Order: sequence, then C-alpha cells, then structure tokens
Amino acid sequence: MRKKLVSMLLCATMVATMATGCGDTSGDDKKPSSGASSETGGNNNDSSGGGGSSETVSLRLWGAEEDQDYLKQLVSKFESTYSDQKFNIEIGVESESTAKDTVLTDIEAAADVYSYASDQLADLVRAGALAALDDVSEVLTKAGKTLDDVKSANAPDSVEAATLNGKMYGFPTGGANTYFLYYDSSIVSDEDAKTWDSLLAAAAKGKKKVGMTLNSGWYNASFFYGAGFTTGLNEDGTTTMDWNGTSADGNSGVDVVKSMLDITSNSAFMPIADGQISNTIASGDLCAVISGAWDSGKAEEIWGDGYSATKLPTYTLGGKQIQMAPAYGYKFEAVNAYSKNTGWAVLLAEFISNEESQKLHFDLLKQPPTNSNVLASDAIQNDKAIAAAVSQGDFGVIQAVGQKYWDTSKAFGEMVAKGKINAKDDKAIQKALDNLVDGVTAPLS
Amino acid sequence: MKIKKMKDKRTSTIVMHNVLIGILAVIWLIPIVWLVCTSFSEYTGINTSTFFPQKWSIANYIKLFHPDTVAQFPQWFMNTFIVACVNCVISTLFVLMVAYATSIMRFPMRKPLMNIAVILNLFPGMLSMIAVYFVLKTFNLTNSYAGLIMVYSASSGLGYLIAKGFFDTVPRALCEAARIDGCSEARIFLQMVIPMSRPIVVYTVINSFLAPWMDFVFAKMILNAGVSSKYTVAIGLYKMLDKSLINDYFTQFCAGGVLVSIPISILFMIMQKFYVEGITGGAVKG
Amino acid sequence: MANEKKSTAAEAVSGFFKAVGGFFSNFGTAVAKGNIFVKLSLLWWGAGYIRYKQYVKAVIMTVLEAAVILFSVFFASQYVPKFGSLGTVKAEMVFNIDTMKNEFNDYDNSFMILLFSLFSFVVWLVAIVIWIKNMDSVYKLQLMEENGEHINTFQEDMKLYIGEKFHITLLSLPVLGVVVFTIIPILLLVFVAFTNYDQQHMPPSELFTWVGFSNFITLFGGGGLTATFGYSFVRVLGWTLVWAFFSTITTYIGGILLSLLLNSAKTRFPKFWRLMFVITIAVPQFVSLLLVRNFFADNGIVNTICSNIHLTGFLQDIGLVSTNHIPFLSAPGWAHVMIIIINIWVGVPYQMLIATGVLMNIPEDQLESAKMDGAKPFQIFAKITMPYMLFITGPALVTDFVKNINNFNVIYLLTQDVYTTTNQALANSQAQEVDLLVTWLFRLTQDYYNYKMASVIGIVVFIICALFTLVAFNYMIGGDKEGTYQ
Repeated sequence: MRKKLVSMLLCATMVATMATGCGDTSGDDKKPSSGASSETGGNNNDSSGGGGSSETVSLRLWGAEEDQDYLKQLVSKFESTYSDQKFNIEIGVESESTAKDTVLTDIEAAADVYSYASDQLADLVRAGALAALDDVSEVLTKAGKTLDDVKSANAPDSVEAATLNGKMYGFPTGGANTYFLYYDSSIVSDEDAKTWDSLLAAAAKGKKKVGMTLNSGWYNASFFYGAGFTTGLNEDGTTTMDWNGTSADGNSGVDVVKSMLDITSNSAFMPIADGQISNTIASGDLCAVISGAWDSGKAEEIWGDGYSATKLPTYTLGGKQIQMAPAYGYKFEAVNAYSKNTGWAVLLAEFISNEESQKLHFDLLKQPPTNSNVLASDAIQNDKAIAAAVSQGDFGVIQAVGQKYWDTSKAFGEMVAKGKINAKDDKAIQKALDNLVDGVTAPLS
Repeated sequence: MKIKKMKDKRTSTIVMHNVLIGILAVIWLIPIVWLVCTSFSEYTGINTSTFFPQKWSIANYIKLFHPDTVAQFPQWFMNTFIVACVNCVISTLFVLMVAYATSIMRFPMRKPLMNIAVILNLFPGMLSMIAVYFVLKTFNLTNSYAGLIMVYSASSGLGYLIAKGFFDTVPRALCEAARIDGCSEARIFLQMVIPMSRPIVVYTVINSFLAPWMDFVFAKMILNAGVSSKYTVAIGLYKMLDKSLINDYFTQFCAGGVLVSIPISILFMIMQKFYVEGITGGAVKG
Repeated sequence: MANEKKSTAAEAVSGFFKAVGGFFSNFGTAVAKGNIFVKLSLLWWGAGYIRYKQYVKAVIMTVLEAAVILFSVFFASQYVPKFGSLGTVKAEMVFNIDTMKNEFNDYDNSFMILLFSLFSFVVWLVAIVIWIKNMDSVYKLQLMEENGEHINTFQEDMKLYIGEKFHITLLSLPVLGVVVFTIIPILLLVFVAFTNYDQQHMPPSELFTWVGFSNFITLFGGGGLTATFGYSFVRVLGWTLVWAFFSTITTYIGGILLSLLLNSAKTRFPKFWRLMFVITIAVPQFVSLLLVRNFFADNGIVNTICSNIHLTGFLQDIGLVSTNHIPFLSAPGWAHVMIIIINIWVGVPYQMLIATGVLMNIPEDQLESAKMDGAKPFQIFAKITMPYMLFITGPALVTDFVKNINNFNVIYLLTQDVYTTTNQALANSQAQEVDLLVTWLFRLTQDYYNYKMASVIGIVVFIICALFTLVAFNYMIGGDKEGTYQ
C-alpha cells in the first residue's frame, strides 16, 4: 500500500512536471514580450490590469491565532512590495488545523487566502475549495517567479504533499508537522529515550509518567505505520486500510495491538486525551511525552535544563524492536477557488510562503520551514524540537486517509488506552481490528 | 418546662433548616466561587491541583482591557451590547404584539395560527441553522450584526405563550369598556394593556436582552469572517478555549465570564420580582 | 375530559376546513356573479378598485401584481425550471491574467436552486391567496354599491388597521419573520432529506439531486457495522428519551422542594438565599458549563481532591473505577449520571423561581384546613402542593420535556472534545453514547457535512416531539383549566 502511495505520488509529480513543462513553453513564448518590456514592465502591467490597479483589491486572509501579529507584518510588507495597487486586506483567525471545517461550511464565504494542514488536502480538493496553482501560475511572473521556482525552493516532499492528481494546491509554508518524543533528561537518559521499554522503566524509577495521546488517529497510527501497515485514499474519498491483516514487513495487526496494550497497561504510562497534552505537561507529572513542535515552549518551561527532544522511540513486537513511524505533514498556504481576486490572492499566498517569510516565521514563532535554504540554516539545525521533527522525515508517513478514518480510529485508540481489549484474547483483538477496518473503509454515506 | 422544650425543638429545627439551605447554597456556589477565584489567578492555564490559586493577581482583568489579537474584550462587549439592545427592542415588540393579538383579540385565523406556532416550536433550531445561514446569505446579511439580530429576533414571535398567558389575566370587561368608549385597539394595546403588564414586559425584555450574551452557536456561524474585533462576547470567550490557546487564556476566559455575569446578575437582582411575577403570571394561566 | 378536548380539536379542524371552503366558494361567487370590473380584476388586480374610486388601493394592488410578475420573470424563472433536476451544469473556472480574476461558467448551485425555488413557491402561494382575497373584496365593493352602502375611503380603510383589523397590523411582521427564518428553513431541510446532499455533493463545486426515500431507509435499515446508522439511532434515541425524562423530572421536583425550603417560615433571610441560587442563572451557560467540565476533567481539580482523600483508591478497590482517575465525564455510565446531576445544578434555580411564583398563589384555605385535620407536612406536599403544581404547570412540564429532547447546550458543552466513545459501531456513524439526537445531527452537519442524514434525523426528532406533545396534552393534562382552582 505504501508502495502504491509512493508510485501514485511519483506519477503525480511526473504529470505535474509535464504539465508545468508545457506551461513553461507557453511561458517562453510570452517571456520575450514581458522580458522586453521589463524596464517598462510596471507600466505595462498597469495598463493591462488598468482597471485592477485603480480599484482597491479586497482580500481576506486567515491564519492561526498565534500567527496574527506575524501575518500583520507580512501584509504590510506585501502592500509595500506591490505599492502600485491599493489593497484592503483583512486578517481573520482560523487555524490551519480546523480550516477544512470552516471552509467547507461555505466555500464562498471563506477567506481568499488561508492555510491548511496537508491531511485536509483531499477533502478540500474534492469540494473544489482550492485553486490549482498550475492553472493560475502565470500570475507569479508579477513576483518574478515561476511555479517551478517555487517547487525547487521548497523541500521536495512538501511539494509532493501539496500535489494531487498532478496539480499543486497550495504553497508549502510549514514543515515537519509531526510529533516526536520530548523528555526530561534528568530522569530519562538519552539512551533510555530510544525504546518504550527503557523509557517506561526509567519513568517508573523516577516516579513520573510517559504520556501519549492514543484517542486520535493521528497519533495512534504511528504504531501501525512503523510495523509496515498502511492507509490510503481512493479517488472517491474512501479510505483503504490493512491493519487487520499482516503487513508487508510480516507483522500481524493483532501483535501490534498487543504491543500497544503492553505499553498502555504499564503503570508508568499515561494516556492523554486529544488536546490535553500541553495541559498535562504543565501539571508536572510527566517525564516524557509524545507531542509536536507546538509544545516545545511548554516542555522547556517545565523541564528547564533537562528539556530534550528526539525521534519517536521503538517498541517491542514479538521480540523485535520496531521504530514507530509518525504521521508527517505540512502546512500549505492556499488560495480559495472562489476568491473574487484570484490573482492577487495567489501573489499574497506566494508572498507568505517565500523564503524571507518562512525565515521570519521561524525566528518569531519557531515554525519549522519547508524552504530548503531556511532548513539548512544554523538556527534550525540547533533547535532541539525542530531537529527532532525534521530527523523523522525519513520514516514519517504522509497520512492519506478519508473522513471516515478519524472517528473510528479515535474510538479504537480509546479502547486501547482504556484497556477495553484483553491483551490475551486474540479473537477480541482481531474483532476490534476488523471493526476498525470495516468502519474506516466503509463507503461514504 | 414543656414549652421551653418545644421552643428548643423549634429553634433547633430552624437552625437545622437554615443550615440545610446554607449547605445547598454552598454546593450551588462552588463553581461560581471557583470561577471568581480562577479569574484572579496568576497562572494562565487550568489549575488542576488546588482549588484556590497559588498566586493571586488581577493581571487577567488588566489584560482583558488591553486588547491583543486574541482578546478584545471591550470591543466584544460593545458589539454584544448593541446586538442585545436592538434584539431586545424587536423581540419584545414582536412577542407582545403576537401575545396581544392572540390573547385579547378574536379573529378567524387565531386558533390555526396558534396551532401552527406549537408545531413550529417542536423543530430543533440547530437543524435549521444551516438553512437560516443560506437564507441570510441570499440577502447578503451574513457576517453582519443585522443578520445576527435577525436570527435572534425574527422568529421571536413564536415565544409568545408566556406573555399570552399573562395577558389572559387582564380582565376582559376592562377591554370591552374601553372599546365601547370608542378606544381603538391600538390604544387599548399601548395605553392600557401594556402599562398593566409591567412584569411580563420586564420578563420579555430580560430574556431577549440576554440571548446574545449566551449564544455561541449561531453567532459563530454567522460572524464567520474570523475577525476577532467583530466577535460577540460569547464567541470571543469560547474561542479562548481553543486547544492552542487554552493554556494562555483560560484565566482570562474566567475573568471575562465574571465580567459578563456581573451586569446580568445586577439586572436579575433589580428585576427579580417582576421576573418571577411575569413568568408565573404567564405560566399559571398559559 | 379527554373526549371533550378531542371534540374541540375536531371542531377546530373542521372549522379550519370550513374556513378554507368558504374562502374558495366566495371566490367562485365573485367570478360568477361579478360585473366586468370584478372579472377584469382576475387579470388586473387593481381594476375593480378604480371602478369604485379607491385609487390608492388600485395603485397598491397594481404595483403588487407587477412585483409578482417581475419576480417570476426575472428571478423565479432562473431557478424553478431546474427544481426537478437540481441543476446540471458544474462549476468550471478559467483564470484571466488581465483582470487577475477567475472567470466562471454559468454554473448551477443545487442548494440555491432548492432555496430559491422554495422561496418562489412561497411567494406564489401568497400571491394566489392575495389574488383570491382581492376578488372577494372587489366583489363585496360591487355588492355594497348595488345596495347603496357607503364605500370606505382609503383613510377609513387604514383606520381599520388600528381598530377591528388591528391583529393584522400586529401579526404581519412577526409572521413574516417566522415564515422567512423558521418555515422556509424547515421546509428546505425537509426537502434536503430527500436529496443526496453530503460531503460528496457539496455546492458550489458539486451538484446534488433527488434520491427519494433512500436516506430514511439508511436510518431504519441498519444492519452490519458499516451501515450503523440504524444501530446508532436506536442508542441515541434511547439516551435522548432517558435524559429528557430524568432531566425534566429532577429539575422540576428539585425546584419545588427548593422553593418550599426557601419560602418556609423557618427560613431566615429568604431573599438573600434566593439570590444565591439565582446567581447561577446569571452566569452564561457556556461559561459555567465549560468550567464545570474542567472541574470534573480526568486530570481536573475534583479528581485531584478525590485521589488526595483516597476516594479514587477506594472506588478502584470495589471495582467501580478501572483507571487511576474517576472518569466523571469520560466513561459511559459515569458521564450519563454526571450530566444529569450537573443539569440539576443548572436547572433547579430556574424551576425554583417558577415554583416560588406558583406556590404563592396556592389557595391558603386548603392548606389551613389540611393543617387543622392534622396532616403531616409530607402529606400536605403529596396531597395538596404537588397536585396543585402539576395542575398549574402541567403544560409547562410537557414543553420542558420537549425542550430537553432538544437540549443542545448542556450535552454539547459538557462532552464535546472530552468524551470519546469506545463503541466502534457508534463511532462508525459519528455518534457517541452521550449524544442526544440534536448533538448528533449537529456533529453530522458541522464536521461531516452530512446534511441529508442530519435532515432525516431532524424530521424524526420532530415527529417524536409532536407525537409526545399530542399524547401528553390529550391524555395526561386533558381538561379545562378554568375549573377547580378559581
């Protein structure tokens, strides 16, 4: 399944490059004219978009609550970059994690430019909420770029993740949207942090707990992905899943669940409800927790000098150590397909995702970038949390699932977390897995 | 001797009685006390280990009045106040108008209309929310206070039953006499029945004034631009409990809750008598 | 008594039909017996009024007619013809670099077609009623003239609207509001229940269409884990009814007891105490309930206290709790009970206010004579107070029950994001053990855009409420109010 995904992505990029290749030739035809008038380019643009520049362009931009000040800065920079044009840009609050919910309620009322997390791509595209950048790439010449420039400036994985059916549906702005292990090195040594067994033993010794969210399909899938299981998304929006069988690596789903139950039944383990992680870190009961870059501040505050971060630990499965494989995602800056000012919206989205902005975003808010140059900078390399997140890029999985996945896998995770399944009862485990797969792969109603 | 014993017994039952009430009151007030205490906590997240905050501070209130991008409490308060006032006027008028027409006047469609109202009240409002949204959108009223006010007030006529019950207690003979004297219905309504029905007017006014302070579902749906300065108090505070914000804003949320509750409590305190009379006058006869 | 009630209901129904019948027969007479101007009014609404010199009315009716025609030609004609298919042209867009804008084809939006068609139907229905009424009143004018009666001037007509016809003045705006913001949305969703409007078919990019009764079949067909709507529906409905029953009864009785307690002669400072309870009403529910939810969270303050006083350990020992916290709001059973208890906290003060008012009106003489007969306080409560309360507030009790069936706030605020089901069958249809039908349908629309199933559930909720109300009013409350206690 994973191979299928890779091949799908490969095909997609091939198509995309072909498409952009064609775009390029047509672009070449035009380039001389725009190149020739490069000196008078500004005027030329003015005359072609004559109506556009005289009237004010109204745009609405959505970003996460914590990004508001940062976006304000960017917008004023954007306005001064394109000072020929009058703008009226309104900034609203909508986190990339919930963008889909709000956008799909009424696409036409959604912001012109908004950010979304990569797992929402398929749903948003199917609802027709995103403008395909390939269709509007011409306008990027105003920013002195082509779509290929954008693609090559960002990490290849992030561009792949933004591409569906050969079209790119957003500018990568944030990378390493994943989770990893935070730990307090005064209790858990760097060596202990490598496996669940040693981690839990160290925690028990230190009278602290190891926390992880299991009642979310985003987190609990890491056990299965690690053992070689997959999920996939069909074109009609249904999900494929093989967790109730045997994986490509020869592990059975039942054994994975048993390993999970081994961990959850350990008294040093604490299941944390979805969304309660940073709260729980703050309570001081934990010595290690699985979470993402957004909790680095909280963890550093609580653990002080002991604060450390590393890749996810391995877990024991039938005597072997299996590396957990996290869901690995990105954040994209998208343009609403129903925007009244598509062109300017594209330019704004591009501006927000360019190298300079990504660097600023990291400096101000520790947002892991996707831009290759920013990624290579020393500041990134020295940040514990981001280094841990980025280091997982090799084995992280771009999670491809449909809408039926979330509630069902959430319930499954809760069953494991609460110990509702008996670890000795293979049949019950198989039944639970069968139910899970049935629910996830069900046709959409 | 015997009398004294009885007296003792009486005093002790009185004490017991009041102690019981006291205990109940304490139970009822615990969450409120917690709300107030937490709002004075220095720690900004949820305090899970102790009932009272470890360090006291009024920083949360100060922050509420120094808006940042998330919390713009004074602005929200103003927005909600305006919506509440307009809604209050329209809803009160609608409720009283419908109540008067159905209670005092007699006309052929009266019974069928009242039956239809009963049926309509049975539909869950949540269900029609999305449809209401699109109706507003056709009139280009989404994302505006006018739209929000309409949602709160347009159908308010359906909540006429308690007011009707109250008007039913107005002596028929008085109205008849006024009619014989040549008063128009409008004068009877405005100059006779309304002044006689102060409790129910107060009850309706309070109820319709409070709705915008309490509602977060419709407001969130209609004010969907995501622009914080346009929120009502309810959405603004509700958003503070977002996963990414709760640890920095929980105590501010509590402080906001306290600030909203204070004027409402005062309103209740002053109007309590009318409120009780209104609701029971209506319920008894309704 | 029940019979009496029924007969009046029957009368009301027959009266309604008589009225409708009369409405049409008047129209028939007018068309048959009217003079040329009356007949002309069939086509030109204002014609008759001109003949009888009511020029203002003539203008108004003509403008109205013109408005209806313009509406039909320029607005309705775009949507109503597509009502049968709900649209066929999908949205397509092309980017135009010169205008910097996306240009769209002339695409269909199924939802708008549905909404505007419905809107047109309502307008036309109203227009037909006006048309028929208009004929009737023009014909009346003709008769009046033939009999040599005085024909009202416009001013005299207007005066009627603050006199005899004042109800029309009073009701027109509220009724308009209800039609636009309640009736049209409800009808719209009744229609949606027969379409395939869901996440796969979301306007503006996609179209949806009619599918007949298949959504209802999905709901009641059930079977298997993949199609668990039927299974979930039964569970959710069960809890909805249990919740509605207990939440209504507990707050009702609690309110009466509390008000008896507060209003007893033994109470010192009754006003002060009452205020203490009323304050809880003054705090908005989304504040107080979210607070209470954090109060009882798995790692919340109550759990900390419970484990400090070793209550958690005790409960673990006797097997009531398997986790190292008390799952107040996160495990079935516990959560169900807690929600009802928290609802007592929310609802009792309000019921107390109502009960206080009602009990003030309780006939003193009955209480006195009962006391003289040596009745114990409990007997007085059971024999006099409760029957009186039930008699007076019975109908309110029924409406409370219906309100609780639809009580969104308490359930949503206490369980959203906190409660996770471990029942896979429920999870597969996005339901939870603690969901009411309304919270379930809210989640279906907000998170899954499954409008078709939400509409079906909404209709079912309505039918349940309607049946209950009907039965309750007919058999439980039945009877005439002006009887016993006046």
